[in-house]
Amino acid sequence: MTTPRIERRIRWSGILIGLGLTIQMLMLLWIHPLSFMIFLLVGCPMVGIGMLVYLYSLASHAAGESK
Amino acid sequence: MNTTVTILSLFTAVVIILAVLTAFRAQLTRVPGGKVLAFVTLCILPALAVWTGLHEQLERSTSTRFCLSCHVMADFGRSLYVDDKSYLPASHFQNNRVPRDHACFTCHTDYTMFGDYRAKWRGMHHVWVQYFGTIPKPENIRLYTPYNNRECLHCHLGARSFEETSSHHKDPGMLAKVRANQLSCMSSNCHDIVHEVGTLSQVTFWKQEEEK
Repeated sequence: MTTPRIERRIRWSGILIGLGLTIQMLMLLWIHPLSFMIFLLVGCPMVGIGMLVYLYSLASHAAGESK
Repeated sequence: MNTTVTILSLFTAVVIILAVLTAFRAQLTRVPGGKVLAFVTLCILPALAVWTGLHEQLERSTSTRFCLSCHVMADFGRSLYVDDKSYLPASHFQNNRVPRDHACFTCHTDYTMFGDYRAKWRGMHHVWVQYFGTIPKPENIRLYTPYNNRECLHCHLGARSFEETSSHHKDPGMLAKVRANQLSCMSSNCHDIVHEVGTLSQVTFWKQEEEK
């Protein structure tokens, strides 16, 4: 049985959010300007993209159902 | 690790676990309750974790430890321990006129609505220079703009020691010029000895530095 597309997207979303938040958590342990940069330029975008993928999966699924 | 960081790390860890569990149990979203759960674990909680993390990062970036974590800033940190009260930053730091754990940020940010954000933007440029540019010698580091009296007056304006001291009344209208930023507090023969990192090899340091 194949995994529905929405579930695959949710999986990717969860993985991205998990990775992004892991980076953020690690950066909390290091007080340095580079830690701030990694938090802002790597961690935040990963979580943001993960959330967008999740929201997109909802929107595309809803659009597919309404057709 | 302080309490805030501990709580924040624990909260982030819980959000990570929930997000990963949702990712690998995506079939839960087939039922209405699962959809709500996924929305909370993949949207609400991560947004909250990022927001609290960002707040903590911004807060810690105002700390003296953060500023001095770059090697090029080390001498500026040492200058806070010079055993000479004519050294303006040292006398402020050692006499608790500025909070020691936020000493740099207290005097070196613009007290405007987005002053700290502007400081962060410049800070990012400094990180770029640190790794990809030519790092200047500490004694060659200069402010972007002349030091604004506003940063001094933020605390001193209205204080009796500031308003009534005889040296501030040497010339009529002197205080008015200082208030209007037309006459710098760091003018020659006033408070003109600041970090002076180029001369640190010739000064003595406050004992507390050795105790640290």
